[in-house]
Amino acid sequence: MSTRTDTSSNAVVAGNFEGDLWRYLRGLGGLFAFLLVWWVGAMTTQPSYLVPGPLDSVRAFIDLFATSTTIVVPVLGSSLVLPTGLAHLSQTLFHYVPGLLLGATCGVGLGLAMGWNGALDDWLRPLVRVLRPIPPLAWIVFAIVWFGIHHTGAAFIVFVGAFWINFYGAYGGVEGVSTELTDAASTLGVERDLSMLKLVALPSAAPQVLTGFRTSIGRCWMIVVGAELFGAPGVGYEIINASNNLAMATSVAYMFLISLAFLCMDVGFRLLERRVLAWR
Amino acid sequence: MALSSDSSTSRDSREKITIRNVSRSYESTDALANVSFSVAEGEFCCVVGPSGCGKTTLLRAIAGLDNPDGGSILVGGDPVTGPGLDRGMVFQEYALFPWRTVRGNIRFGLDRPACDCPDCEARVQELIDLVGLDGFEDAYPKELSGGMKQRVGIARALAPDPEILLMDEPFGSVDARTRDRLHAELLDIWTQTGQTVVFVTHDIDEAVTLADRVIVMDADPGTVQSTFPIDLERPRERTARDFVDHVAQIRDELGSPVDTNH
Repeated sequence: MSTRTDTSSNAVVAGNFEGDLWRYLRGLGGLFAFLLVWWVGAMTTQPSYLVPGPLDSVRAFIDLFATSTTIVVPVLGSSLVLPTGLAHLSQTLFHYVPGLLLGATCGVGLGLAMGWNGALDDWLRPLVRVLRPIPPLAWIVFAIVWFGIHHTGAAFIVFVGAFWINFYGAYGGVEGVSTELTDAASTLGVERDLSMLKLVALPSAAPQVLTGFRTSIGRCWMIVVGAELFGAPGVGYEIINASNNLAMATSVAYMFLISLAFLCMDVGFRLLERRVLAWR
Repeated sequence: MALSSDSSTSRDSREKITIRNVSRSYESTDALANVSFSVAEGEFCCVVGPSGCGKTTLLRAIAGLDNPDGGSILVGGDPVTGPGLDRGMVFQEYALFPWRTVRGNIRFGLDRPACDCPDCEARVQELIDLVGLDGFEDAYPKELSGGMKQRVGIARALAPDPEILLMDEPFGSVDARTRDRLHAELLDIWTQTGQTVVFVTHDIDEAVTLADRVIVMDADPGTVQSTFPIDLERPRERTARDFVDHVAQIRDELGSPVDTNH
């Protein structure tokens, strides 16, 4: 078996090597073309703050790590000194991570329950239809009056965003469980509904649940920046803060930072997904 | 008179599965209409018929996966009320759990309730040997060919040691050579375990190769048309005269035109 896998992957590597090389080169070409357009655009636009140039932006990005800032850790209340970029990124994560995890847990939970239980589905489907289309950021007014626009308020907005994406991942995944598999499980002694959910529905829905979660990682970055534009501390707030001082290059540096943070999380989660779903 | 003949049949061969006047209809069609027959303990019984004759519905009803509208199905004298570990089922499209390895799939029925006894481990290994999947214990279904998948399907159904094995066109999607080998292996397993087998197929050759008795069904509505005992020594030679005669008889009964090319 191992030999079979080895030879096939070798063949794939040999056959695709040239194709892969070309793909990378084209990708690099696209990046350079973009940099060129950006650079020319920045050179020719006046006043200069309208389009900060690539070099200024890189310099601003480096500056984010050359200075340090003191932040307060929520709940613990202790203060922390970090390079400025990391400090504001941490502030964002203080509401992004709890919002995402709690939203995903609740969303997956309700999605599984509704996808699996017809009666519950009947009860809640109309309600879901009504609540679902409300953009998470629209809840900002309640976030403000209930929690104040700080970590808790921003976490609430992220929660709403993560909730619906994960809800639909789990709901669709469980609804799509093949009856052939549940039949097979019944003939093999699975009697209780809850065992069927655990042994068949959940593993079979896992790909969609994980895709839902991965989508919510990205979507919640959009949402969290939106929430911070209203005043919650973090990278989103720093984008608008810098632009208020016309330090547009710093705004771009924070945009880079968000992109980088998202990329790390996305790649990390894809690796985890590939491990968990090795059977696919 | 009738009474005495009844008791004599039940003394000769104990009835394992009794199907009495079973009917099942979907919206506009009668999938099964008044179907009655019985299967003796340890018998290898094949059900053949055109598609739509309700043979799969019948098998699912015996498995407890489908509720007939009328009539009754008894297994070992008790009415079927739902699926149970006394009846193992092998599905046409394998129905393996793709997230479980070969070992995990075979183990599934042993883990109800969950157990990690060394006996289970040994039992799984024994079944892997039985169906010839050594070396593939940790492979996922996607890595297996159709024939291998169905070997897993059979081993998985056998794991809880059911008294009855229900097989729904299990070799319909494997190539002819693999099918011949699987036939031989299935007969070996059946000889070893002495299980009662109900095997649904539309392939008359396959039915005559395997069965003690072939039940021919007719479609629309699904009814039992006739039964043919197959009294041939195993292994059976497909070119043998008796074999060919049996196949021709059943084909006549099914009403499909006999091949006139030779």
